Amino acid sequence: MRSLRLLSGAVLITWLVLPLIPLAIWSFARGWRFPDLLPRDWTLAAWSYALSGTSGVLASLGLTLGIAAAATAASIVIGVPAGRALGLYRFRGKTLVQLMILAPAIVPGIASVLGLHGLFLALGLTNTVTGVILVHLIPTLPYMILVMAGVFANFDTRIEDQARSLGASPVQVFRYVTLPAILPGIIVGGLFAFLISWSQYILTLVIGGGRVTTLPLLLFTFATSGRNDVTGAIGMIYILPGILILALTARRITGRSGAIAGVGRA
Amino acid sequence: MTEVSLTKLTKTYPGAPRPAVDRLTLPLTCGKLTALLGPSGCGKTTVMRMIAGLLQPSSGDISFDGRSILGERPEDRRAVMVFQNHMLFPFMTVAENIGFGLKMRHLPAAEIATRVDEMLERVRLPGMGARRPAALSGGQQQRVALARALILQPKVLLLDEPLSNLDAHLRLEMRDLIRGLQQDMAITTLLVTHDQEEAVVLADHVALMLNGQLRQTGAAQSFYRRPADAEVAHFFGGRNFIAGQSRGGVFTSALGALRLPDGAPEGPGLLTFRPEAVEIGAEPENSLTATLTDCQFLGSEIRLLLQSGGLALEALTRPRDAEGLAPGKEIAITLPRETLWVIPKTPG
Amino acid sequence: MSDRWKILLLLAPAMLIIGVLFFGALATGLVRSFNYMPVLGLTEPSLEAYAAVFSSPAFGRSLLLSLHIALTSTLLSALIALWAAVLLRQSFPGRRIATFLFQLNLTVPHIVGAIGILYLFSQSGAFARLAHATSLIARPAEFPALVFDPYAIGIILQYVWKEVPFIGLILLANMQAIGDDYESAARSMGASRWQAFRHVLLPMLMPGLLSASILVFAFAFGAYEIPAILGASFPQALPVLAYKSFTDVDLAARPEAMAMAMVIAGISAVMILAYLRLTRRGAR
Repeated sequence: MRSLRLLSGAVLITWLVLPLIPLAIWSFARGWRFPDLLPRDWTLAAWSYALSGTSGVLASLGLTLGIAAAATAASIVIGVPAGRALGLYRFRGKTLVQLMILAPAIVPGIASVLGLHGLFLALGLTNTVTGVILVHLIPTLPYMILVMAGVFANFDTRIEDQARSLGASPVQVFRYVTLPAILPGIIVGGLFAFLISWSQYILTLVIGGGRVTTLPLLLFTFATSGRNDVTGAIGMIYILPGILILALTARRITGRSGAIAGVGRA
Repeated sequence: MTEVSLTKLTKTYPGAPRPAVDRLTLPLTCGKLTALLGPSGCGKTTVMRMIAGLLQPSSGDISFDGRSILGERPEDRRAVMVFQNHMLFPFMTVAENIGFGLKMRHLPAAEIATRVDEMLERVRLPGMGARRPAALSGGQQQRVALARALILQPKVLLLDEPLSNLDAHLRLEMRDLIRGLQQDMAITTLLVTHDQEEAVVLADHVALMLNGQLRQTGAAQSFYRRPADAEVAHFFGGRNFIAGQSRGGVFTSALGALRLPDGAPEGPGLLTFRPEAVEIGAEPENSLTATLTDCQFLGSEIRLLLQSGGLALEALTRPRDAEGLAPGKEIAITLPRETLWVIPKTPG
Repeated sequence: MSDRWKILLLLAPAMLIIGVLFFGALATGLVRSFNYMPVLGLTEPSLEAYAAVFSSPAFGRSLLLSLHIALTSTLLSALIALWAAVLLRQSFPGRRIATFLFQLNLTVPHIVGAIGILYLFSQSGAFARLAHATSLIARPAEFPALVFDPYAIGIILQYVWKEVPFIGLILLANMQAIGDDYESAARSMGASRWQAFRHVLLPMLMPGLLSASILVFAFAFGAYEIPAILGASFPQALPVLAYKSFTDVDLAARPEAMAMAMVIAGISAVMILAYLRLTRRGAR
């Protein structure tokens, strides 16, 4: 029984890392022909190409980070108030509001983005970074709102009344009491929003029209053009922020199924 | 020192069939502690939130020293609330919690620090300023909450059940501390509680509120000795209510004729007396015989269930007075004249 | 300020964004799917696009393929996730690593997983090399087609790789919330380990498992980049076909792309309703 468990565990662990291994090997390979099990020659060429100015990878990395950061910031600013409304109050039509917020998180991007392209074309937002940031709000905002609704459902507003009664103005109450109290939730929700934006492909492709080349678009181009070594290097660079975020927050992610859904759909 | 008065204060929540607070008129005497007593849901917390400015009354007025403060924002009223579960800010240290109100008023950090230290001394928590609230005991947390309010020298201090979360032995200590600080600083204080004992031990004046309405005000003893109606008597642990007629200082009922104290209401009504007022043994006045139906040991007291004239009565007595008593026995009891009171029968 | 106004103000920005960007986009797509695009001179609404789409054999194959991908991936992921969650709940050396990898996997974008699967299972990939090294095959072409294949095996493998941790972590969280007491009670009443799992724990996990599965189904049905990398050139997954029509040089194909987007939206709407029913029931 115990050895079976061990074996199952080993299979599971192997399967979980397996697809990342050839990617990592490719990034250090100088040609890796069939049927060699491992490359004959190792090189840092793909990495130095990826990190050089000519490949555009670094520029794309900066762009992807910037778009994800902007989409996250917008999600926080818009999502925290909405989460407060859903977490603290009962009101008529609440179910409908919840449904409207849940829908963009479940409906695949391709279903809405083709129509959105028409709208954005009229507004001059296609092929622009602003347009891409806006379209990323479709999947990021619902998760931010859902996480914050959970946070506010456990928030005791009497702590705000207490601060008010001790002489704090509404602005001071938010700055010194509410914000510190909900900050852990904002961080978790913000990280999810960041990862979701970070992973978007089709939304960026359609609205950015190929002009806004975030990392996944660049990765796709290299992968389909057969540059396996550069693909490997970009792939490694691309998964790095997620690993860093996980290392920073591993404790908070476990045990929160609603929140996990955020990363899962990323 | 501030004289606070509530005038016909009314609050009706949207959609509620009747007001949560109904035309409450109550003065809070300068520098004194008034207890607003009532069961949970009677509207007493609503009153406190209205004084603090956290709720807008539907009608009526609140004034401090004769000036209405309804137009003032909560942060300007200096009516400071201390919540039941202390509501310390968990992400701040004890010192930051106590200094919070002063910081909101933009006082210099050095002055805040000095006054916080002073306050920590006063609530007997010297040197605890750097701790987090979570590292304190329940009693210590309550003291920090009190310090956080008192440091602002409020015009009126609003205490929400300050003793209810504490163990029995801490309640006495906390009671003395609240009483001491309140009298020391002479702060007009409103205490809100459902616990008659908490009200009686802390307050100079007690106001009893039932279903949103003020039912009786006065010194604590009057609620035991001279209840305004049966509900008030019930709330204060009254058990004995006997229907009959009061005429010329004598109450006639199934128990026979009993002499009443001076000033007892005349006419049809309910005779009431506290279980602990019943004395075992015969006296020249107001004695009667009763059959003992049950005898319950309650630790420091014995509870006796009696039957007399076809009525059930209840008495509390000291264990040594109850020696030799057993169910089924017929005994003589006395209802001392001064402990009796008549609740007039309300028409309808 | 009354609560009603407060709620309205708090919700307004979010509802505006979602209303315009999402529902506005769907409405635009819907209008255009009826051949109404004044910009292109199309001013007579019609059902032509739907007629063209539904009568095209390619669309039928694509729809079936996408349904097959979504259904098979979801079933396999759910079953494996259940097994993995039960395994991870017990203690064994490496349990912490496995749990960490579960979480790590969630942060890896799908496109990276797709490329990883490509490098593992293609006919010149890592497994083909292993097969050659063990003399199972002589040439790449002898290795079974697991990617770019008509059965979408590679695509399904990718989803299983990504979604097992997703469902698994939700199940683990549920198990943690449920605790061991119910199973212990069942065991004390004479249930075997299997019976306690089958008749006590599993029914309690079911709402969470089903709602997670619905999310997986909707995603696997509508994702673009995974089938674009791992799929065959015919039949193509529905999102790939829709995007191809959308970028067709012949602008007349656009209403057809919109019609396909509406089909995808319609199927996900059914998923949302199912999800709501399940989560409502779970919440009770």
